[in-house]
Amino acid sequence: MLTCAFERRNSKLRGTVSSPRLRLLGSSVATKLLIGITGLALVLYLIVHVVGNLLIFLGPDFFNRYAYTLEGNPLLPIVEIGLLLVFLIHILRTIRNFVLNQRARPVRYVEKRRAGWPSRKSFPSSTMIVSGLWLVAFLLVHVKAFRYGAEYPWPAGGRDLYRLELETFRSPLVVAFYAISMVVIGAHLWHGIASGFQSLGADTPAWRRFILPAGKIVAVAIAGAFIVIAIWAHLQGAA
Amino acid sequence: MRLKLRIWRQAGPTAPGRLEDYAADDISPDMSFLEMLDVVNEGLVRQGKDAIAFDSDCREGICGMCSLVVNGVPHGPDRGTTVCQLHMRRYKDGDTITIEPWRARAFPVVKDLIVDRSAFDRIIAAGGYVSVNAGGAPDGNAIPISKAIYEQAMDSAACIGCGACVAACKNASAHLFMGAKISQLARLPQGQVERASRVAAMVHQADAEGFGSCSNEGECEAVCPKEIPISNIARITRELVKAVWRGGE
Repeated sequence: MLTCAFERRNSKLRGTVSSPRLRLLGSSVATKLLIGITGLALVLYLIVHVVGNLLIFLGPDFFNRYAYTLEGNPLLPIVEIGLLLVFLIHILRTIRNFVLNQRARPVRYVEKRRAGWPSRKSFPSSTMIVSGLWLVAFLLVHVKAFRYGAEYPWPAGGRDLYRLELETFRSPLVVAFYAISMVVIGAHLWHGIASGFQSLGADTPAWRRFILPAGKIVAVAIAGAFIVIAIWAHLQGAA
Repeated sequence: MRLKLRIWRQAGPTAPGRLEDYAADDISPDMSFLEMLDVVNEGLVRQGKDAIAFDSDCREGICGMCSLVVNGVPHGPDRGTTVCQLHMRRYKDGDTITIEPWRARAFPVVKDLIVDRSAFDRIIAAGGYVSVNAGGAPDGNAIPISKAIYEQAMDSAACIGCGACVAACKNASAHLFMGAKISQLARLPQGQVERASRVAAMVHQADAEGFGSCSNEGECEAVCPKEIPISNIARITRELVKAVWRGGE
């Protein structure tokens, strides 16, 4: 009963009557949770994506058969729509959050320095919005080039994505754009992976010792693997 | 020691502010940072000028009143201390020191280096307390709490509410302050009854005050004079999920 009185008093203070607990879903903490969940889902997708792409080293037969198996799956449209939704939630909620956060400090410091250890602040962590917006632009170019790229038929069925990839990366400009974008994605994940888990509420001393270095290793591994693939495709295509 | 100071002067909440230069001569390395400012102020008063307004109370690092951003870091360069415990021996003769107030929409400047931190009081008033009637004081050993638990609760309870976490955060977020109180009470039996309504009320109040969200950078933990870790912020999320999951009346 006291809790009831307590909540009534609080809703009177704020001039609302809706359930404070349900309204929590719109709070700064829930926003953080949502950005964390969607971010980690995208990391999971990226890991699947990079492992799939590494199959290109096994030759056109294997790579195109893998792509055909994926494209032939009836669940693909559902997965694609789901992925698009996850992207949209992550991007839109982050932009809204960024704007609100900027408003929280209207007058900026004349001089501001990093506080040092144990702070995790780094160049990547302070430029998440920039790296994120770069990745949105990259995604548009990337999806246009491959998902909606040239449809070379492959005799055994499906598209000849092996050929498309080698042709796309023939231009050194494309390779450079991809390499820079992969450095940007590495930077985004450098802070993003550990931060995502922190946003989910996972933080014990043992977990912290594991996730901080592990997140950075996964970030470098994903970015590095994509860069190697792009350079390899360029060299193959040029040969 | 002779120092060059650049200090934020602002006549009132709506007046425009700016950094002004002051010379601090005859400063002893044994003085605290606030004593150094006292000396500068005595000089200003002798000249018939307006003294620099700054907050302080206990001057022994426990009350949470002092609130200066020194050379871009809240509470200055030493870890785990308030600015009143910073001493001038930390500086060299001839150094230039920039002093600014906490900067956040929710902490409006009152004058010069003094900000209004009553937003913190309103967050606590929203739910950072225990108000259940538990009868008379129980026997000291009647409610056993393990050492691990009470140590954790006490570590969170160490918060002195100075606001350095907000000042250091790029988003001016109050999540560390809020998380410390939520964690403290969530660990103890007295805090269980109002556990869900507490997190709801405090999170809403912090958002309504205009504090930002948390980017998990941990600048707050690095400047906290009581070294409260950001695991207290992670606990807000867990408490919030539990509160929403269990629903309310």
